[in-house]
Amino acid sequence: MIKKAIYGLVFLSLFSCSVVKEYEKVYINDPDMVLGTKKLDRFQTNFHSYREAASGVNGGKTGGGCGCN
Amino acid sequence: MRMQLKLKLGLLVYFAIFGLLNASAQEENSEENAYKKRVLENTEIDFLTSYYTQDGNNAAVSGGKGTEELTDFTPTIVVSIPLNADDVLIIDAAISAYTSASSSNINPIDGSGQADPFTASSGASQSDTWANLNATYSHSSNSRNKIWTANFSVASEYDYFSLGFGGSFTKLWNDKNTELTINGKLYLDKWNPVYPYELRPFGANGRGLSDALFNRNTVSGNADYNPEFTEFADKGRNSYSIGFNFSQILTEKMQASLALDLVQQNGLLSTPFQRVYFGDIEDSFIEDFQLADAIEQLPDTRFKIAAGGRLNYYLNETFVLRGYYRFYNDDWGIQSHTASLEIPIKLGTKFTLYPSYRYYYQTAADYFAGYEMHTSGEEFYTSDYDLSRFSANQFSFGVNYTDIFTKFTLWNLHLKSIDLRYLYYERNSGLNSNLISAGINFIVQ
Repeated sequence: MIKKAIYGLVFLSLFSCSVVKEYEKVYINDPDMVLGTKKLDRFQTNFHSYREAASGVNGGKTGGGCGCN
Repeated sequence: MRMQLKLKLGLLVYFAIFGLLNASAQEENSEENAYKKRVLENTEIDFLTSYYTQDGNNAAVSGGKGTEELTDFTPTIVVSIPLNADDVLIIDAAISAYTSASSSNINPIDGSGQADPFTASSGASQSDTWANLNATYSHSSNSRNKIWTANFSVASEYDYFSLGFGGSFTKLWNDKNTELTINGKLYLDKWNPVYPYELRPFGANGRGLSDALFNRNTVSGNADYNPEFTEFADKGRNSYSIGFNFSQILTEKMQASLALDLVQQNGLLSTPFQRVYFGDIEDSFIEDFQLADAIEQLPDTRFKIAAGGRLNYYLNETFVLRGYYRFYNDDWGIQSHTASLEIPIKLGTKFTLYPSYRYYYQTAADYFAGYEMHTSGEEFYTSDYDLSRFSANQFSFGVNYTDIFTKFTLWNLHLKSIDLRYLYYERNSGLNSNLISAGINFIVQ
């Protein structure tokens, strides 16, 4: 899995050669293009952390802070 | 194998740090001449709330058999305050009030009715309140290419208390096309253990079968009830996590991110009120409720690793595609895959619809077995179906209203946006849940 993550990182970093300028970011700056989670996502992330064993890389808790998994 | 993993992790950390240092040199040149816009123009207030219901027949409190009915209401307020042009303070306070039929069966013999794992009891454990306060301070550099955050949180409920500390550093470079964040979190938690009612007479200083509980109630089945029970000595639970997030603008309409979280947990990782029934022990009952043979026993360490990514594509002025995938693995034997797709649909400038679908799959923990499937000689055991093998489908639909001119006002609060969302979640093991959430965002002027 780590190997795949490194490959992915290297793949994404290749795109750093091409640059999208600020004035070309009209689509990227659209609120729905945000790469993180949205404010209401916290509630579903919270119940997922109780009802599912997996956690992490979703903007929520990765353990601790609640008596959940 | 472990060496190989460490080597790979080392490579990843090296890559991350090298990227930061390399990018830092580029930024220093542009920092002085950069135009400085306030990170946050005005104070913003979010009023958020959710109403959650669930039902199922595999309650961990009653050893994998019994009602999982639960409702939860969580009002939340988030205030984002610009302290100056560079610094923002975010205060986030939430209260979660829940009632749980399965938790009520920590004490099923409360005299309110026939004791039964499929019927809620009316004792104190049927409801609880969880309160959480979270403060985050962030500082951005003049060029907005470096962001530091520090975070503190405190959470409390009747049987659980948590203190959390965290921080992160974000570096943007390549004309803000590339971004790397490293974050660390530490949770220092403490249980105030609540044990199944019928086990308490067998704890320290307990009177066993001479306790009034067994004088008031007749034990049927195996009348010589003798559970395997020792109170937990270590009540603390510490969680340490480190995370990396790398994001990249790929084209004018597409961007992606990769993330990795590593988590180590130590301490009391079992839930003290979750019963286990052994297949090789004769069953004892009070009324229709089977008395616990033991409580859940899980290892006192757990190492979790999660890796995932997001890919967003701006298809056209109406549709955006938001994809997400996560792989998870831990040393309790659980592996999981999560994938979701959300397709925001823009209806003019004010309304956006949010249909989405999420699929989740996990394998069972090594220590999981269902009702009466464990035997008394095992070291670790649980019948918590949250640690079982299952898959789940989730369908959700949301709507957003945004007023870019913030025309509607309430005192000095100017309405910026309203969000509503409904989701339905269903496991193939039978549990299903509904979540309704809403949020209103105001700008203070």
